[in-house]
Amino acid sequence: MKTARSPNPQTHRRKRRKVSLREILIMSIETLWNNKLRTALTMLGVIIGISSVIMITSIGQGVQQQTGAQISALGTNVMVVQAGAARRGGVSQGAGSASTLTWEDARAIAKQVPDAKAVTAFLQRGSIQVVRGNINISTTLLGTDLNYPSIKNIQPQAGLFFTQADLDSGRPVAFIGSTVRDELFRTGESTIGADLRIQGKRYTVVGVAESKGLSGGQDLDDAIYIPLTNMSSQIVGNNALTGVSINGFWLEAADGDQLNAAQFQVTNILRLRHGIKAGDVDDFRITNFVDIMSTFTTVMGSLTLMVGAIAGISLLVGGIGIANIMLVSVMERTREIGIRKAVGATSGSILSQFLTEAILISVVGGVIGVGLGVALAFAVATIFKFPFVVPLWSIGTGFGLSLIVGVLAGGIPARNAAKLNPISALRSD
Amino acid sequence: MATMIWMEGITQTFHLEGMDLPVLKQIDLSIDDGEYVAIMGASGSGKSTLMNIIGCLDRPTSGLYILDGSDLTTLDDDELADIRNQYIGFVFQQFNLLPRLSALENVMLPMIYAAVPKSARVTAATEALTKVGLLDRLKSRPSQLSGGQQQRVAIARALVNHPALVLADEPTGALDSKTSQEIMNLLTELNQQGTTIAIVTHDASVAAQTKRTIHMVDGKIVEAANGSVQPSANNLRPDAAIV
Ligand SMILES: Nc1ncnc2c1ncn2[C@@H]1O[C@H](COP(=O)(O)OP(=O)(O)O)[C@@H](O)[C@H]1O
Ligand SMILES: [Mg+2]
Repeated sequence: MKTARSPNPQTHRRKRRKVSLREILIMSIETLWNNKLRTALTMLGVIIGISSVIMITSIGQGVQQQTGAQISALGTNVMVVQAGAARRGGVSQGAGSASTLTWEDARAIAKQVPDAKAVTAFLQRGSIQVVRGNINISTTLLGTDLNYPSIKNIQPQAGLFFTQADLDSGRPVAFIGSTVRDELFRTGESTIGADLRIQGKRYTVVGVAESKGLSGGQDLDDAIYIPLTNMSSQIVGNNALTGVSINGFWLEAADGDQLNAAQFQVTNILRLRHGIKAGDVDDFRITNFVDIMSTFTTVMGSLTLMVGAIAGISLLVGGIGIANIMLVSVMERTREIGIRKAVGATSGSILSQFLTEAILISVVGGVIGVGLGVALAFAVATIFKFPFVVPLWSIGTGFGLSLIVGVLAGGIPARNAAKLNPISALRSD
Repeated sequence: MATMIWMEGITQTFHLEGMDLPVLKQIDLSIDDGEYVAIMGASGSGKSTLMNIIGCLDRPTSGLYILDGSDLTTLDDDELADIRNQYIGFVFQQFNLLPRLSALENVMLPMIYAAVPKSARVTAATEALTKVGLLDRLKSRPSQLSGGQQQRVAIARALVNHPALVLADEPTGALDSKTSQEIMNLLTELNQQGTTIAIVTHDASVAAQTKRTIHMVDGKIVEAANGSVQPSANNLRPDAAIV
């Protein structure tokens, strides 16, 4: 009788030496390594799940930030008053083309409206032909005054905006947008003092504007600014009965409340100046950017909600992907579980091994998924030109989700299989 | 001689789609330490079912099973795993090797669960594979081995933890007669070294090499050849009472 290995009651009541965690870890790594295809496929589920969550939330946040930036680029405390009948439902296409507003109106408003911090008039035409040497382009020409740069937040990157003297004497000088500069000049070529022909007339470049980028698909840098006096006399031709006709003017107030007060005052003054009787419609229309701002804020809110919903859906899809492949992988391995149990593995050591494998896959797949998601988000942001932001919570959530789902989807079926008696596990095929 | 296996009134009833399927019907069986036993019977007579219970791979529906003094019906799953690991080596007809592991790794598997350190595992597994004549195939995966070689790996795995009891369920069923004889030689040698062995077989020439043959018909043991006695109420029960 070989007493040393006899299962006498005493020795068998004693707890067996447990397989060390290190041993389990080594075994898990070896198993994952020996089953490269299965490991890769499972990991792919994790990677796709996490990277899509990160990419989608990043794109959502980027678009949101860009929208926010565009809104504040419009100016927060400004309104624009344009010539033409007020809009009554539908879009008034010809707004600003009828010459019901004059520079004198704008100057009167600046003087008489206490809540107006600054006012700038503009007279603008699109598709104006501009020639330099043998280069011929078409751009927007905007005649204005000296308040324009500060109200519209335009800074020179070279030279200066035109001066009061230029405006007073209607000199042919041009302050050009960066797109116009790029089209007419080679890189490094000096711009200040160069001559352009606008509608056949000679203009001298006095400055180049800092780029403002795109807004609503419109290139804000594709424009040339010249003195309003020059625009009126040389390019458009004055058709107002008295004074200098303009398309409209911008008004800046100190804050949003004052802007609403100003709107009321502007309406009254203009109606009075234009002799509009009570009950008749305005011959101008006012766009108040504080109102637009609040509309945009609502839009932003639903955008945030939508991004959240999409992130939630991709989390769900990613989670289902991970759960699915884990589940299949464990079910495939019921026979392996049977073999391990037959040679003496306890349910606990089986479960530890499967959990370790699930955690390893989730963590390694998670790291790769985060990397891929960030890279894809960066690529999309670069291609579609919106800010690249990766919200930390999306990395945390994606990672946490894959870990939780991985452990549950890998662990629960593994626990069920580990609880089978060895022969039931072995018989499964 | 000490009693290794003592079974009294063992039954096994499977439940299939709400129907009771009695597969083992009141089995009484005693095998002594160091015996070399063959179990024969028609297909479906319950041989494998009995072997699985002897090997602690399954629990009986009812009955008493005392293995070397321990009443197994009182042990929990982890304790049964312990007995499979330390006390029993099981050889299957279908080998049941892990396909992704090498011969050496397959043989080391029981020692991992016995918490044997790595270096000792390699030494012992190499030794066991040498014993079955596969020293040159340590690194081979099961798919790179013939059926006979795979079964020898399985035997090496069964004996690597030095079990007192080796159970083989049709170990030669999937092999040709020459390879079968090599496997039988291994088992016979193992028995000569003192290991208790029970083999399920269809093959009379295999059974003839053992010292006792037990016949099963329809879930019952009908006769025990070679003059051995089945336990009965009058026989002296082993000292299970102390459990
Ligand atoms: N887990 C099980 N569930 C249901 N029926 C089973 C199960 N295991 C065996 N059986 C049935 O029990 C009977 C005996 O099977 P088995 O012990 O494998 O016979 P043998 O090994 O003698 O050929 C067969 O009819 C088989 O289908
Ligand atoms: Mg069988």
